[in-house]
Amino acid sequence: MGYLSTICVLGCINIIAVLGMAVLTGYTGLFSIGHAGFMAVGAYMSAALFLQWHVPFLLAVPIGGLIAGASSFIIGYPAFRGRGKLRGDYFAIATLGFSEAVRLLFNTTYPVFGGAYGLNGIPAFTTLPVAIGVTLLALLGAHNLMTSQHGKVCIAVGQDEVAAQMMGVNLLRTKMSALFISAVYAGIAGGLFGFYMTYLSPNNFGIGKSSDLLAAVVFGGMQSLVGPLVTAFLLVAMPEVLRFLTDWRLVIYGVLFVVVMIYRPQGLFGYREMKFDWFWHLVARFRNRKQISANEDES
Amino acid sequence: MTFFLQQLISGISIGAIYSLLAVGYALVYSVYNFTNWAFDAFMVTGAFAAFYAISLFFMPFWMAMVFSILVTSGLALTTEVVAYRPLRARQAPRLFMMISAMGASMAVVNIANLAFGGAFRKFPQVAEGSIRWGGVSIGRMDLFAAMFSFVVLALLWYFLERTKLGLGVRASALDMVTAGIMGINNNRIAVIIFGISGVLSAVAGVFYGVKYAVYPYLGMVTIKAMIGSIIGGIGSLAGAVIGSLLLGVIETLISCYVSSVYRDLISFTILVVVLLFFPSGLMGTKTVDKL
Repeated sequence: MGYLSTICVLGCINIIAVLGMAVLTGYTGLFSIGHAGFMAVGAYMSAALFLQWHVPFLLAVPIGGLIAGASSFIIGYPAFRGRGKLRGDYFAIATLGFSEAVRLLFNTTYPVFGGAYGLNGIPAFTTLPVAIGVTLLALLGAHNLMTSQHGKVCIAVGQDEVAAQMMGVNLLRTKMSALFISAVYAGIAGGLFGFYMTYLSPNNFGIGKSSDLLAAVVFGGMQSLVGPLVTAFLLVAMPEVLRFLTDWRLVIYGVLFVVVMIYRPQGLFGYREMKFDWFWHLVARFRNRKQISANEDES
Repeated sequence: MTFFLQQLISGISIGAIYSLLAVGYALVYSVYNFTNWAFDAFMVTGAFAAFYAISLFFMPFWMAMVFSILVTSGLALTTEVVAYRPLRARQAPRLFMMISAMGASMAVVNIANLAFGGAFRKFPQVAEGSIRWGGVSIGRMDLFAAMFSFVVLALLWYFLERTKLGLGVRASALDMVTAGIMGINNNRIAVIIFGISGVLSAVAGVFYGVKYAVYPYLGMVTIKAMIGSIIGGIGSLAGAVIGSLLLGVIETLISCYVSSVYRDLISFTILVVVLLFFPSGLMGTKTVDKL
């Protein structure tokens, strides 16, 4: 049971972080290969808030997420401001640089954050119900966000920036808020991760973590929420099931990156979105059948 | 003063290796407008090919270098054909090319890790000792590596600026579609460019392996070359060389005057600051989306 719940908790944490990536990449079309950096900020900040200033757990994690979100302004504002809009791929490299800089900063800051020794003594507050609860909240939030006016604006920016701008969309504000929200998600995921592992090391948030998150978004489809969601969980669960392939995990990821880009760039789920129509169809059909049988009974 | 000169020289010697790779990044970027993340895979392959050529087959150094260049160019061309050409054929977004490149690099590096093991191997020394010159000592191998790198870069410059094929490459860099209409075979240009990338990364891999050690993740250093090419200006070959030398010198000076702990932190901070505030770098032009 402990083993299964570990997989579930880590899967949930991964889902939250990937949801953040999907909000950014899938809708705004901005691409980040440095979300591990925001996770690190969230994880370290919420742990430090708890350990140093005794902020309660349920408050420390959201505050850590908000701090991660605020840290996104450091790259968001200069990258999106004014005339000098950074090209998509160079924005991605900037996020990579940011996340490595953040990791190395935590790695060299010994007071409060423990530097290269890591930060330990964090209590294990992230239980399975907490993780599932936060994941559901995150899912609800992302779904509502994407069906809201803001979501539509984000999609417009992702489709055609110039056209969106001509329609009166404030590009700077839209992009920065999308980056902020996705960083908050990553930060909260990081906070939960810290309170689950009870130990934080800067090496948890290296380039490998970022490419895991990226893999979930790429495989799941860069234009949907449900795709990354499923792949995020699968990417945590699959290595456990296929233990004998552990060594080959990264090789398989790499080959899949190439194959997916060439044969199915829209990802596993393509443009299909989180809809529960099939469920209502099923209910309707069930009702109809009942009614039909009731009619037959009457006659 | 001699201490400073000494640091300056070791900075330039590491910067020379960065500049080989940075020129590769700039060359691929100038024609295809995407960052070839697979350079680390090429570099690792080059280093391992030369290492095994010397330690298993007892080849002399020059022969190992040639062998490594052949193997690495082969890998670079395979990557081009398998991972990039199908995407280019249907004019996929640049981002897809980048992800595909990351995939290729992940696959090759981790195959190397599984096949050869993660151990650090010492490269058989080819040139020992150092030259002392007015209180400054230069390792013979460092000197040779720097010289060789600059010769390779000079040859590349000659090829691009003074030969007909080089003219074709430059025409493609200017505008690939128009160049194609004018009768330049774009696939042949791709073969030339990735062949050159293979040569550059093989030389860089071998010299980096000689300077430090040979191990599967030695390709991580290519990110420094990328930083160098971004400092110099994305897509500019001369800028890439200058940016890499600058980065090498800055890194060495920071390691010795501040602390080696902060070396990578400063490098990545430079990357972010340059990208965000001076995106065209020292000599680049087109990094900003224009209408």
